[in-house]
Amino acid sequence: MNYVIEVEHLTKKYKSFKAIDDLSFKVKKGEILGLLGPNGSGKSTTINCLLALLNFKQGHIKIFGKEMKQDAYDIKQDIGVVFQDVAVFDELTVYENIDYFGGLYIKDKNLRKTYINEALDLVSLKDFAKFYPKQLSGGLIRRLNIACGIVHKPKLIFLDEPTVAVDPQSRNNILNGIRKLRDDGATIIYTTHYMEEAEMICDNIVILDKGNIIAEGSSDELKKLAKIEEKVIVEIMNFDDKYLKMIGKLKNVVDVTYASSILTVKYNKGQNNLVTFIEYLKENKIEYFKIYSERPTLNDVFLEITGKELRD
Amino acid sequence: MIVFKTYLKIINKRKWPIILYTVLLIVFGSITISTSDDNINFVASKPDVLIVNNDDSALTRSLVNYLEENTNIIDTVKLDNVDDALFYREVNYVIYIPSDFETAFMNDDNPSITVKGSGDYYASFGEIILNRYLTVANTYLRLGYDKEDIISNTESVLSNKVDVSLINETDTTTLAKVTYYYNFTNYSILAGLIYAISIVMFSFNKKMICYRTEISSLNKTKYNSYLLLSNGAFALLLWFFYVLLSFIMLGSVMFSISGLLYMINSFFFVFFALTLALLLGKLKLDKNAVGGIINVIALGSSFLCGAFVPAAYLPDMVLKIAHVLPSYYFINNNELIKDIVTFDFGSLLPFVINILIMIGFSVIVILLTNGIGKKNVNTNE
Ligand SMILES: Nc1ncnc2c1ncn2[C@@H]1O[C@H](COP(=O)(O)OP(=O)(O)O)[C@@H](O)[C@H]1O
Ligand SMILES: [Mg+2]
Repeated sequence: MNYVIEVEHLTKKYKSFKAIDDLSFKVKKGEILGLLGPNGSGKSTTINCLLALLNFKQGHIKIFGKEMKQDAYDIKQDIGVVFQDVAVFDELTVYENIDYFGGLYIKDKNLRKTYINEALDLVSLKDFAKFYPKQLSGGLIRRLNIACGIVHKPKLIFLDEPTVAVDPQSRNNILNGIRKLRDDGATIIYTTHYMEEAEMICDNIVILDKGNIIAEGSSDELKKLAKIEEKVIVEIMNFDDKYLKMIGKLKNVVDVTYASSILTVKYNKGQNNLVTFIEYLKENKIEYFKIYSERPTLNDVFLEITGKELRD
Repeated sequence: MIVFKTYLKIINKRKWPIILYTVLLIVFGSITISTSDDNINFVASKPDVLIVNNDDSALTRSLVNYLEENTNIIDTVKLDNVDDALFYREVNYVIYIPSDFETAFMNDDNPSITVKGSGDYYASFGEIILNRYLTVANTYLRLGYDKEDIISNTESVLSNKVDVSLINETDTTTLAKVTYYYNFTNYSILAGLIYAISIVMFSFNKKMICYRTEISSLNKTKYNSYLLLSNGAFALLLWFFYVLLSFIMLGSVMFSISGLLYMINSFFFVFFALTLALLLGKLKLDKNAVGGIINVIALGSSFLCGAFVPAAYLPDMVLKIAHVLPSYYFINNNELIKDIVTFDFGSLLPFVINILIMIGFSVIVILLTNGIGKKNVNTNE
């Protein structure tokens, strides 16, 4: 199997602080790999090391089978990066910005023109081509940021939290765009601290915490680690804590919590749990607004392994 | 050349302040040019000069000697009759050398020689001759020579004019206007270059834009040299434009050796301003900071060094401070060019030395800039 990226024992320290610790992972051609982890877990640091923007003392990084270095311009030609922070010129229009960053890779003006239009299409910014960044909303700027990073049709694309602080419409647009890039053959590294996104679009996920890989695999593989199969969630006002112990002893229940009007009951086996629990509530005359069942999420995986929530 | 293209686009977006600095130059230039337009023809004969020497020293004897060789020394006028004599043109120029002149001169105290003139061309000719001696002597003083060497070197330099092939045929009144114009460019050049380059470099040096450039397949050394070339090209363009403007506004006088000297002088000053602007560009100043810096540097140096008001009207203290500023040497050269009558070694020496000093300043700034660059790289990791 040919890997697009191979990372071995990568360790990066800021002064004496280990931001990432002995990281090893591989990325297959054509997949979307998610780097999932809470803020400060080392996602951006990992990406910046992969791009040779940061120096590191330990570890090896190969991209397209070759060692990644600062002056590996042939490798860089096929890489596109969308940084977490927006990187555009305020003085240039949307079109001119994409043209500039495309121009760093592509000399041919006509080819560039075609590519710019394709990039504008991908992020649906055609109507804003003549706008200046100051005139764009947060979501549109992030889309411009993406267009600037992928205009040269790279084979390997890094996206660092491209959907942070973005309205739902832009978010959907961005996620669809990323899928499209993958379908067109690109390999994608996608960092996020939103587990729903990782679940939705990533073929494989590496979960990071405090600079360590705590789990990796496909979304389904990872969920098996959560050791639960179903969650029943009930919205209840004024829930009496005395029931908690009782519920905890019900069949298949492994955990029960009540916080801010939400009762969460976790089951290690999943059959008829919802029906059984509704009956239980009726028997005990407990009134509720809403009740529903959920499959475990990556958050449960994270919680299981680290003992804390992924969300911040 | 996407880098250069983008560079120009950014300048274009930020062009208004640069246009303003240029308009100021044009306004100032036209005011200067429209005042007094009488032409005086060059006259070859020597001016009549009266010398009152109160300092019996080697230096003043040498000065008087030189004046005797180049002017008609008048000794028939009585001292209390000087004003009448000037009025009736019995004498064109009166020079009072104060006591202790030599001592003060050697201490670099800028001793002043009081003069009175008849206000005509002969008077300015007398002044030019006096100034020539003093400028050359001053140059050797600045170079650190002792008294004997100053005198002997000055004498030998000034006696070199044996075959004067090039004589300045332009009158000083017209040249004074050129000097005013070029003095004012001190402000426009500094403000324009610092503004443009700081603003553009601020954009190119934003951290995320740097990251994006760094991960691109464009060779980093190439990219840096493209940027440097763009800055250089812009500076050259600005210089060319201001020179062109001087041709348009001042006309034929610019087609002379004096005109060429003004151009050369401003070229080296633009070079200095470019290095300074590049240094400031490294500091990643935002728009407001740039505005402040321009006021301090461009406006400050223009006042201190006599770009707006002739240096002669400025207090000695101010001029002393001004010596540490490159603008002083640029403006000093503009004043020198105005007074150069013969284009020989002696007259051009101070001019060349001022240029060398400007180059020296540029080199220091370049070294500083590189030092900062290295530091940035180190703190980056
Ligand atoms: N330049 C830096 N200097 C020192 N510490 C840093 C620097 N950049 C990041 N860190 C620290 O390294 C850790 C990982 O940061 P980062 O990679 O940005 O996390 P993420 O992208 O997952 O939010 C954080 O604790 C952060 O505070
Ligand atoms: Mg980050």
